[in-house]
Amino acid sequence: MNGIALFAVSYDSIEILSAFAATHDITYPLLSDEGSHVMRALGLINERVQEDHAAYGIQPNPRHVNLPYPGVFVLDRDGVITDKRFFESYRERETGGALLAQALGIFTDPAAPAAAAAEPVLTARAWLDSPTYVFFQRLLLTLEVSLAPGFHVYGEAAGDGLTPIAIEIDPVPGLEVGPARWPAPRRFDRPGFNDGLWVYGGVVRGTVSLTFAAAPGGGDHVLGVTLRYQACDDASCLAPASLRLRVPVREAPLVGRALPGPTAKT
Amino acid sequence: MPLPPRDFRAIGPKEGQRFPDVRLSDQTGTLVDLHAHRAGRPALVVFYRSAEW
Repeated sequence: MNGIALFAVSYDSIEILSAFAATHDITYPLLSDEGSHVMRALGLINERVQEDHAAYGIQPNPRHVNLPYPGVFVLDRDGVITDKRFFESYRERETGGALLAQALGIFTDPAAPAAAAAEPVLTARAWLDSPTYVFFQRLLLTLEVSLAPGFHVYGEAAGDGLTPIAIEIDPVPGLEVGPARWPAPRRFDRPGFNDGLWVYGGVVRGTVSLTFAAAPGGGDHVLGVTLRYQACDDASCLAPASLRLRVPVREAPLVGRALPGPTAKT
Repeated sequence: MPLPPRDFRAIGPKEGQRFPDVRLSDQTGTLVDLHAHRAGRPALVVFYRSAEW
C-alpha cells in the first residue's frame, strides 16, 4: 500500500482480533492492548466515556471502560508524528484513503475518474476515494486540474482582480463540506504585482472532505462539483471561468454494529 | 446534545514528537515492535474502540 505501514490498536484479546482479521481479510497488525495499559500510558484513555455516551443517547455498558479516544496518528519515515486526527463524534469515520491523501500528500489514483471535463487550456478530473458511503462516513473528493503548457491558475490568496481557484459542491441535505486543501503554490513574478503572484501550473490536485451526515437512507447522489478559476499565460489572462463535473456516489447499507478503525484492504 | 469539543492536540503524543515505542502482540500472537515493524516507512497508527462490538 504505497509502502506505508498500518497499525490498529484496541483492547481486544488476540483471539478476538484473530477472528476479526480472518473475517475481514486483514493482514496488517491488529495490536492487542488487553487491559488498555499501553493506551493509558500514552494518555489516550477517555475518562469521560460514560458521560459522552449519555450525551449521544447510548445506553450504559460495562464494556465501555478503558476506551481510547478513537483516532489516528500519522508518522513520517523517522517515526515522528506529523498529523493526528481524533473523532469528536463516535459515528464519524474517515476512510483510510482520505487520511493518506491529506496527511501524507499521497493520492489514490482512480482506476477511472468518476467525471471529466475538458477545455483547451484546462482539463479537470474529479473522483471520490470510495464509490459508496455509509451514514456519517467522511469521504475525500480529489479534483485534479491539468493546465496546458504556459498557462497557470491562481492559488487561494490571489492578487487584486484575479480569481483564485475554488471548489464548490452543490448542496445536498446532510452533506457537510470541509475546506478545500491545495498544495503550496509557487511564486510567479509579473510587473505590477510587487508581492508576486502565487500560482499553479502543470497538474495540481485539491481535496475536499465530504461527510454524509444525513440520517441513514440518505440515498444515492450525483454530486455537482464546480471548479472556479482564472487561467493566464505570461502575456494576458482569460476571463474567470468555471467547469462543472458530476461525481456519483451510492449509499451502502450500514453493517449491523459499529465498524471500528480501517476496514479497507491494503 | 453534544458536549463542547476538547482540545485534541493536548491528548496523547504530540505532533513533532517521535511516536513512543510500542510493543504488543498482534492477531497471530507475534510480538510486534511498532518502529521496528515500520522499517523506515511512514505509518498510520489507528486507535479504535473494539473489533468485537
